[in-house]
Amino acid sequence: MSISQQFNEAVSKALSVPADMVTDELEYQSIPEWDSMTHLVLVAGLETTFGIAIDMDDVLEMGSIGKIKTLLKKYNVEVV
Amino acid sequence: MKLYDLIRGNDKLGFIDALSGKRYPAGSFHRSLEIDDHRGIVFIYCDNLVGSVEVLLNFLDSRFAVTLLSAQLNSSFKEDLENRYRPYYIYDPVRTDISGFELFRAGENIRLFRSRQRTLYPVHADIKLLLSTSGSTGSPKFVKLSDDNLVHNARSILDYMPIRPHDTVPLNVPIIFVYGFSIFTTNCIAGGNILCTSHDVLKKEFWDDFHKYQCATIGGVPYVYEMLQRIGFFRKNCSSLRYMTQTGGILNHTLTKTIAGYCATWNKQFYMQYGQTEASGRMAYLDPADILKKESSIGFPVKGGRFEIDDATGELIYYGKNVFGGYATNYQDLNEYQHTNKLYTGDVARKDEEGYYFITGRIKRIMKLYGTRMNLDEVELILKNALGGQTFVCFGLEDKYLAILHLNDELPEDAIKQVLKEKMGLHPGSLRVKYVHALPLTPNGKVDYAAVTDLV
Repeated sequence: MSISQQFNEAVSKALSVPADMVTDELEYQSIPEWDSMTHLVLVAGLETTFGIAIDMDDVLEMGSIGKIKTLLKKYNVEVV
Repeated sequence: MKLYDLIRGNDKLGFIDALSGKRYPAGSFHRSLEIDDHRGIVFIYCDNLVGSVEVLLNFLDSRFAVTLLSAQLNSSFKEDLENRYRPYYIYDPVRTDISGFELFRAGENIRLFRSRQRTLYPVHADIKLLLSTSGSTGSPKFVKLSDDNLVHNARSILDYMPIRPHDTVPLNVPIIFVYGFSIFTTNCIAGGNILCTSHDVLKKEFWDDFHKYQCATIGGVPYVYEMLQRIGFFRKNCSSLRYMTQTGGILNHTLTKTIAGYCATWNKQFYMQYGQTEASGRMAYLDPADILKKESSIGFPVKGGRFEIDDATGELIYYGKNVFGGYATNYQDLNEYQHTNKLYTGDVARKDEEGYYFITGRIKRIMKLYGTRMNLDEVELILKNALGGQTFVCFGLEDKYLAILHLNDELPEDAIKQVLKEKMGLHPGSLRVKYVHALPLTPNGKVDYAAVTDLV
């Protein structure tokens, strides 16, 4: 599975939304499924999927799918 | 004195709209809406933004009784509640059309729905506020509170809470919850600015605003403090913050130590409180100095209140003028308000030799999942209604998971999860569904809730 497929699957699972809803524009709290609880589920899911540990301060930078992709570059995860 | 008059008396008060950055002096919201002068019910579907606050203040000042509900409530729940309570006005920033209601411009930025029939029914003179006993289940069970209840609660909090005239407080706790409502009213009476925001603590924008407006305080249920820990909040000083408030359960030991260390290092105060909707807010608080010495204690009753522990059951009983006037499940229940000062809390408690109170268990079937209170009997009913009348048994697992047992081996787990996701916004990850052959029953044939926990 490509990095981008893994990413989409991790997000879709954490938020429990269909994979086609996972677009760069999707923002935290813009849909009922993406609330504070699923946000932390998502953080944990991305950490497991990519074997990384996301810094505490970086959690606040994860305001949208696009922003999360940008942030993940810092952890050498390139989601195209 | 009425609650609104106390708020109106604070001429330094202002409301900051986090979205636009604009500050509205409280005076600009005084009678800013055109509303009929009747005795009836208004439903305010609140999103914690400045519009909701303007509507709330106008109706607090009116003869209407206010019902605060979540704007995010599922629309079928909204319709059911409206059928049961027949509100005269509805404020809902989400919907554009409600059958039987006309939308009109009530003020410069506010649109209200008004009932086309405009029928009124008797509402007891003492009912001022109706709050739901749970945030997300759309339960029709409302707690009836009087203006007097709210004033007593606010005064007892102001007795110990270090609110100062120039403080800015963020509304990060939704005001549809009695705790958020208490934060709102006490700061309206004694504080400076209310930052109206729908951002939560996991959003960068929340902290940008928090620093920009130099917020003095933050509040939350244990889950919020767990989130703060996750984002590293307690590792560095937040210079404008003076005190934090908490309610809704006991913090875990590690977190208590972290917070105590943070407070000692940076000279902050942490107020652990105990309350219920039925008490219009707070019943007890722990002195910040005792946070480690009396960990997990709820401290002492607030001013004007007192506790008693029932000899036979161990149940905590509260006495005070902030005790509610009964429940309602439809509009007919609004023609009475039962005056009492006694509240059976449903919590089991003990008192130590120095007089500190500790909650040791619950009698009521209520659990908290990520800070939201849920009546488990209602969750069972929602599942039963949605899935063809089958039997479901729900209970909480350490306030982390909701366990659901059922007796139909052909029922897919996803169907159950889908209902709870749609109706209550519950994440599948917080559910533990299990099929069982049979349920343990008590001698009188009811589900034995003490025994079911052994099945998962």
